[in-house]
Amino acid sequence: MDFSTVLSGFAVAFEPQNLLFCLIGVTVGMLIGVLPGLGPAATIAILLPITYTLEPTAAVIMLAGIFYGAQYGGTITSVLLRMPGEASTVVTALDGHALARKGEAGPALGVAAIASFIGGTASILLLTFIAPALAGAALAFGPAEYTVLALIGIFLVGTLGSGSLWKSAAAAALGLLIATVGLDPLLGTPRFTFGTDQLADGIDFTIVAMGLFGVGEILYNLEHRDRPQPAVPSFGRAVPSRLHWLRSRMAILRGSVTGFVLGILPGGGATMSSLVSYAVEKRVAKEPSRFGKGAIEGVAGPESANNAAATSSFIPLLTLGIPANATMAVLFGALMLQGITPGPGLMSEHPDVFWGVVNSMYVGNLLLLALSIPLIGVFVRMLKVRPGILAPLTVVITMLGAYSIRNNAFDMLLMIGLGLLGYGMCKLGFEPGPFVLAFVLGSLLEASFRRSMRLFGGDLTEFVQRPVSGTLVAVLVLTVVVVPVLRTVRARQTERTAVD
Amino acid sequence: MNPFPRRGLLAAAAVSPFAALAACQVQGGADAAESDFPKRAVDFMVPFDPGGSGDLISRAIAKAAEEPLGQSLAVTNKPGANGAVGLKELLAGKADGYSIALAVKSLFAITPLAVDDPEAVIIDDLRIITTLTNEAYVLVVHADSPYQTLEDLLAADSVNYATTGVGTGSQLSAQLLFTGAGIDATDVPFDGGASAVTALLGQEVDAVSASLAETMPQVEAGELRPIAVFSEERSPFLQDVPTAVEAGFDVVVDQRRFIVAPADVPDETAGVLSLAFEEAREGAEYGQFLQDNYMDRWEVDNLEAKTHLSEAAAEYAALVEDAGLQLGDGA
Amino acid sequence: MSDAEAPQEEGADEPRAGGRAQAVVAGALPIALGAFAAWLAFGLKLGSLTDPGPGLWPLVVAALLVACGVAIVVVALSAKVFEAAPANRTESFTRGTGAVLAAAAALAVYASLFEVVGFELPTLLLLFAWLRFLGRESWLTSAAVAVSATAVAYALFILGLGVPLPHIIAF
Repeated sequence: MDFSTVLSGFAVAFEPQNLLFCLIGVTVGMLIGVLPGLGPAATIAILLPITYTLEPTAAVIMLAGIFYGAQYGGTITSVLLRMPGEASTVVTALDGHALARKGEAGPALGVAAIASFIGGTASILLLTFIAPALAGAALAFGPAEYTVLALIGIFLVGTLGSGSLWKSAAAAALGLLIATVGLDPLLGTPRFTFGTDQLADGIDFTIVAMGLFGVGEILYNLEHRDRPQPAVPSFGRAVPSRLHWLRSRMAILRGSVTGFVLGILPGGGATMSSLVSYAVEKRVAKEPSRFGKGAIEGVAGPESANNAAATSSFIPLLTLGIPANATMAVLFGALMLQGITPGPGLMSEHPDVFWGVVNSMYVGNLLLLALSIPLIGVFVRMLKVRPGILAPLTVVITMLGAYSIRNNAFDMLLMIGLGLLGYGMCKLGFEPGPFVLAFVLGSLLEASFRRSMRLFGGDLTEFVQRPVSGTLVAVLVLTVVVVPVLRTVRARQTERTAVD
Repeated sequence: MNPFPRRGLLAAAAVSPFAALAACQVQGGADAAESDFPKRAVDFMVPFDPGGSGDLISRAIAKAAEEPLGQSLAVTNKPGANGAVGLKELLAGKADGYSIALAVKSLFAITPLAVDDPEAVIIDDLRIITTLTNEAYVLVVHADSPYQTLEDLLAADSVNYATTGVGTGSQLSAQLLFTGAGIDATDVPFDGGASAVTALLGQEVDAVSASLAETMPQVEAGELRPIAVFSEERSPFLQDVPTAVEAGFDVVVDQRRFIVAPADVPDETAGVLSLAFEEAREGAEYGQFLQDNYMDRWEVDNLEAKTHLSEAAAEYAALVEDAGLQLGDGA
Repeated sequence: MSDAEAPQEEGADEPRAGGRAQAVVAGALPIALGAFAAWLAFGLKLGSLTDPGPGLWPLVVAALLVACGVAIVVVALSAKVFEAAPANRTESFTRGTGAVLAAAAALAVYASLFEVVGFELPTLLLLFAWLRFLGRESWLTSAAVAVSATAVAYALFILGLGVPLPHIIAF
């Protein structure tokens, strides 16, 4: 590998103009991340015309900054308002918001920012050294592999719940059911669309997440507005304590690697990475019962994972010309508009663009960390605003965000309906987490399975015969069948010894 | 049954914000001459997701048309159901020329073959303001594939091919070709061009039919090999690749994009818009955009365009009928 | 919710655990929803496992939902110590539920007005109504917050980020 091009990439990244656009990008990104419903894909599309006049490297540095900046910003609403704007921050909302309720919003956001920074930076380092070697990994994942991956994900969703297993499963099943709304992915048959083509393309994830979590939470709190609010204890410091740090550091390390690896996979990588990270942390924890009630590892792990995944999701785009998600698709368009074709030739034909953009991410992550830490204090103070004032403001921002996804008022109505569902689920003891994550994984599972069946001519054994999907099947069997059985056996033995 | 009163919503949407704005502005005479058009920004609706080909071309032409039009063009994305959601809203709005939209051929010629919608937008509801592009579909195989030519591929025992989705030109072109050739071929619809191309790069499938914009980057990088284009004549971007017609299969499938307004927009207003867009098409920057995105020009008058669209719809329907194809499951 | 851990005082609006009837309803609703979805799925082609039609997966999921619902009902009816089973945890509805429905209705009105008269006026009214009647802020606070928040939203979304919200005030 020729490191002179890597180094000259630093020179590009540190040009004053590029530094400026990096700063603009991450600031805008953080802002839209905080505003639920406004996604990086739409924002980048809106800003595309501005980039026509920019030099290609500066343009892409800014647009990339919007993407990973949004990941930082999204955490803030997940923790403070329990309103995840991206699939990858759903699990952050679980323990992050529980911490905020305990008065530890500052440390939670502090750890999240540091975890994001470490995850992002580690991922850039890995990208620099092994991106070309790993690029092919994205191609080793065909429909069969995605089927098994999604199946693993759905079983992991089961570990999220902190209450009844049956209720978690019911919530997940409902999420899977809602995911089938829209035209059948292989045959185009309308399913549960009730004759309207507003539902033809299915329901947007953000609408589901904002409805069930955000609006549902606001409605729930509204019912009990007369109850004296449990005064949020001291706001604590933005700086995490020694204990927070001790508990988080291994989680951050594991999360970064998980995120980097899964982020390379186009479609579902980032969501899976935060989910896997959360499940792993819960497994290795000494007291798994703390999870769901404010375990800092449940914030640190997934946050480092989703930021690492955000960075490594650039790999398929930059090395193969495959956009891994909606934002990457818009970036693909942005590069094409600049006369640069993303793909295998990019690294050799435009090394200045490739390494300039990659290295600007170090700068961007540093800027984001520097922006986040002082802002945490400001955001945490938001919790001091009376709920009577905070709730309507949040609702309006959420509604405007819901509208802006497709510029469609129908989506606002849909979100209100899902908000009522979220409220009802709360009252009846169902958790929204399994619902929302199963919703994301459901379409992936069904479409991939059916594509596999077409490719294999209906032969189910192909799943175990292919090397990658076979390995994943083994992982699935191990985690879903073998480990729980062993645990039960061991638990029985301990019981017996205790009785003896 | 239906919890969401769509009719009501559409009626609500009918009064566009700009109409409300016009009501507030009390300037000029009550009914100033039509030639005043446009007095304010024109709303250009793109019924597709931000960042896709439809979005990019709309933004490119909108930028080029602002100067000749003398007003700004506000691009708004309103995606859903291959453009049907947006166009239905356009039709529910005022036909005053201040609301125009992008439309694509596949919605009128191919979608009806796959999806049964009694309330589908038909081309007679619309007035074509200007025509923009013609994008050819191309059949590609992996660079390491044993199939060097279309003949090789059609000699195979069985073929798995990826398409970019149900009811797309990608699916129609490939199905017509393989059925015409009478070989055992399995259609695997993916979710858009990127995932179909990924499946081919990973050699999960033997071939993909997709638009030039979706495949050319990989073709130029030497990862994929084009073996046939589904246009009448060879594509200027792929001079060496034969058409399916040359190989003896009468399969011509392409995607065409054009700008529409509701059918009863005043002639004079439509004329002003048409002129502005015609001038915009001559711009150098727009030309470069087409070149960079592998799009061919389709620049005909609106009568010819309309004829082309209705003929294509009839032709595709007949072809599908003859071949006994089932694109989707619904219709 | 995590408030459940807060010291239980028998205040008027404390979240009170729902009874056995509500726990049964928590299982009956998934059963009803699943059965309805299954009925709709039967109307689609089912196909087979190796060649699935559009209805198969929705049917499988609907069946799963029904099974979970049945399990929840069984636990609710059979648990020896009702409170001990986590599946039985529910929260009874209170008078506050009326406020929740009112809020949802207000939001629905907001969404339907939005594209007709632009976002400014509905936003102002929604904020004011929510602040004054649901949040029980004073008239003055409600008006001040509603006006300034609408202005900030306008500046942020329309002027700052260029989001195409329908609006009647133009610059």
